[in-house]
Amino acid sequence: MVILRVFEQGFRTANRRLRMTVYLWLVNFIFSVLIVTPIYFLINREYSRSLAAEQMTGGMDLLWLGDIIYKYQDIFPALVGWFLIPGILFALLSIYLNGGIIGRIVAQNEKMSLANFFGDCGRYFFRFFRVFLITLLGYLIVFGVIFSIVSALFKIWTKNASSEWPLIFSSNIKFLVLVLLFSIVRMFFDYVRVRLVVENSKKAVRATLSNFSFIGKRIFKAWALYLLVGLVTVILAVIYLAVYQLLPKLGFMLVVAFIWQQAYMFSKMWTKILFFSTEYHFIQAHKPSLP
Amino acid sequence: MPGEERISNIGYEIWVELDDENKKLYGKEHITWFNTTQDEVQEMWFHLYYNAFKNEKSTAIQESGGETFGPLGISVKEGEWGWIDVTDIRLADGTDLKPTMEFITRDEPVHPGDQTVMRIRFPEPVKPGEDVHLQLEFNSRIPRTILRSGYYKNSYFIAQWFPKPGVYEEGKGWNCHEYHLNSEFFADFADFTVHITVPEYFVVGASGKQIEAAPDKANEAVTYTFQQKNIHDFAWTADPDFIKVERDFIADEEVSRTEYKEIARILRLPVEEVKLPDVKMILLIEPEHKAQIGRHFKALKAAIKYYGLWYGPYPYETVTMVDPPFRTGSGGMEYPTLFTAGTSILASKKVLSPEMVIIHEFGHGYWYGLCANNEFEEAWLDEGINTYSTGKVSAKAYGRGTLPISINRIPLSWFFKLPEYLDHEADRAVAIHVVKLDPITAYSWKFFNGGSYALNVYMRASTCLNTLERLVGEETMLRILRTFHMSFRYKHPHTQDFVDVVNEVTGRDLSWFFEELFYKTLNFDYGVSSLKSREKKKYVRGIFDADGKKEEYTAKKISEMEKRGKKIDEDRLYITEVKVRRFGESRVRGDVTIKLKVVFEDGGEEIRFWRGQERWKKFTFEKPSKVKYAQVDPDNIWLIDSNLANNSLKRKSSKKGILKLTTQLLGFIQNYLHFLGTLT
Repeated sequence: MVILRVFEQGFRTANRRLRMTVYLWLVNFIFSVLIVTPIYFLINREYSRSLAAEQMTGGMDLLWLGDIIYKYQDIFPALVGWFLIPGILFALLSIYLNGGIIGRIVAQNEKMSLANFFGDCGRYFFRFFRVFLITLLGYLIVFGVIFSIVSALFKIWTKNASSEWPLIFSSNIKFLVLVLLFSIVRMFFDYVRVRLVVENSKKAVRATLSNFSFIGKRIFKAWALYLLVGLVTVILAVIYLAVYQLLPKLGFMLVVAFIWQQAYMFSKMWTKILFFSTEYHFIQAHKPSLP
Repeated sequence: MPGEERISNIGYEIWVELDDENKKLYGKEHITWFNTTQDEVQEMWFHLYYNAFKNEKSTAIQESGGETFGPLGISVKEGEWGWIDVTDIRLADGTDLKPTMEFITRDEPVHPGDQTVMRIRFPEPVKPGEDVHLQLEFNSRIPRTILRSGYYKNSYFIAQWFPKPGVYEEGKGWNCHEYHLNSEFFADFADFTVHITVPEYFVVGASGKQIEAAPDKANEAVTYTFQQKNIHDFAWTADPDFIKVERDFIADEEVSRTEYKEIARILRLPVEEVKLPDVKMILLIEPEHKAQIGRHFKALKAAIKYYGLWYGPYPYETVTMVDPPFRTGSGGMEYPTLFTAGTSILASKKVLSPEMVIIHEFGHGYWYGLCANNEFEEAWLDEGINTYSTGKVSAKAYGRGTLPISINRIPLSWFFKLPEYLDHEADRAVAIHVVKLDPITAYSWKFFNGGSYALNVYMRASTCLNTLERLVGEETMLRILRTFHMSFRYKHPHTQDFVDVVNEVTGRDLSWFFEELFYKTLNFDYGVSSLKSREKKKYVRGIFDADGKKEEYTAKKISEMEKRGKKIDEDRLYITEVKVRRFGESRVRGDVTIKLKVVFEDGGEEIRFWRGQERWKKFTFEKPSKVKYAQVDPDNIWLIDSNLANNSLKRKSSKKGILKLTTQLLGFIQNYLHFLGTLT
């Protein structure tokens, strides 16, 4: 089975690049801390000397939550901005980091270092940025057009329903369709990025167009591989949530819960590398047929 | 019955036929109105509620003005309008009153095109103690469900459907408001006999007790007759798919002797007076919700039990609970002896829905059904008291419920442990947001918007009542509500009546409580603004007279003196200053004070009381220990306080809870950023 073999190769590559996972986790963590810190100080200023802060250790309670919402209702628009602007910056940063990730996967025989990681980040940033702009077009076509048509079809089905069942089915099937469409778009442009690095090409548009041929010929294999890695992501999320819910969030266990939370984030960074590494090996496995 | 007190001053006999194909009703109505006042009544005003859906000139649609609050906004598609025409109206002797018929609009602001209130004039006034007999004929087009009445396909929920007189108030005239967007209803108690003719494939439910089902084979129809005395409205429903289930509430099985004794003790009544009657429970449920039949009856039993024990026995033989047909949009509404619940196929057992809806809507049988306040003018009297009561009953019967969060109609509580809450906590969380918009006692259609109406009338009123309960005590509150309910059962109480009962039962003048919290838009917020402890100095700097001389105590000298004295810990005294503030405009009055609890590091406690009239007050304590924290309202009486966090202030900060909250937020942000990264 090509898919399983490629998956295994990707798995090994991702594990060989654990240091890269640390970089990604650190960037995500530091960026998040920067966003959360002002909010921490805001809440700390108002609540650290209140007995209400002690109630917060007991889990969510509508009394103190109601207070917080009431108190900060006027700054909600500012808070939205506070989350949105760093979000955009982080998206740009991710474009930058993708270069490093793929660059280091492709150069798998080279030693992993901070310098060559960030060297790759810089090297591929602009071509990946162009890919990102094309990706936006992809999202627009898939979600703005294809998904709208799918939704309209579902609406015809549910419009005159006399039971709630069609709505339950349609909304969940729609959600599944959305996820699958998203996975196709993401997978497609992942391959564009990886191939740009493998082929050391700067031509994002041409790589995108030629990728139609590459992916088109082996769509089911590529998609199956992609969904397999997606399944790993889901399994990790389920394990994380199951354990997290069991952990008491009191005293020292609060620290354990935090470490577990970060371990999960670490695993997410690892799966991000796994996606790219399996895609790289998939391309390698089909190299003779590259256009 | 001889000797039986007359409750109803109206009698209705209505014959109505449902035209399923054309979505029409054809009706005949005999009304007997008894003048119980000392006025000579020259005219009669009627509600023609269906005309609210006739065209865009109606008051309700004008008020809607594009505003849609949840499912209650009005948006009528072409071909789905509803209306009612009174085609004939005459006295029993045949005198035609139709020439006197006119539509009137009196509510401010005026909507001249509204046709929901009709007036007729009598040739002779109806004298005190006399009655008048009217015979009407009407046709109506049923709207595609609006404001919970109407049809979807061949499912019908028929409410506010027949010409209904307003309430004649002695010395004031007819109280008969137009159908407003944010308002419910008001009517006199009446005795109903209603004959409903529907195609034979329908299952029918209605207010009151079914006394006959007469099939008409020739027309493939059935005429159902329902009767009920002493109710002020009549609603019915017809759906071919309803499953009809009947069960009995058998009081002796549901309530133990101990429970009777306990409630009798609390209410200071003989046990016999708190005993409950048996009730026939009828459930009309959609087949797809069949698995939830047990849930529905369990909730209804809890409601019959606790409303009955606490506020008074349920006086009717039947109660009909309707699981509204899909998309009829008629869920969660009350009518006398009949109410609509509402559930979904995938309802989680941890989320108290449909339970809360069932308890709430049944509860309206008490607050609205029996204590029949004017919902146009003082909606809080039923919605607020009933929201409070719903919270009490659900807490007693079920405890905490899980937050109702679903994705794609799949409850998240199936997968995650979601936060749990009591109803009053949720009420308070939203109530504090609307304090400054409107007083609770505003007329229903005069609220700032639908949100302000709902949150003030339901949640804020309920939060204030929970506050009142904490202020007077749970048992006293039960006595208040019992007294109020039984005193105004089958009557039309006003806010002042409730205030009078509160004062009477508590033996205190708590009128101010209502003036501050119900009639005004004042924010209630007391808190601790500063707290500090400092060691009391034995010596202080400066010039002092000693032995006829002036001696200066310098810092150096004091230090030396203290060293010589070697003050030991037991001698140390600390001066603690606590400043409490009234942050809000609202203030306590009468015999009520704000309690301040000050806890010291050695475990000592001090309690002080503040009248709370001024903006702030300083309390000083001299104790052998530093202060640990100060807290106003330590007994959590003032649930309506908009900022519970500032009720307490610790000398030292602690970050545990905040760190927990922040790390959870951090996790959320990390995932959010990671997701954004995947899009690139």
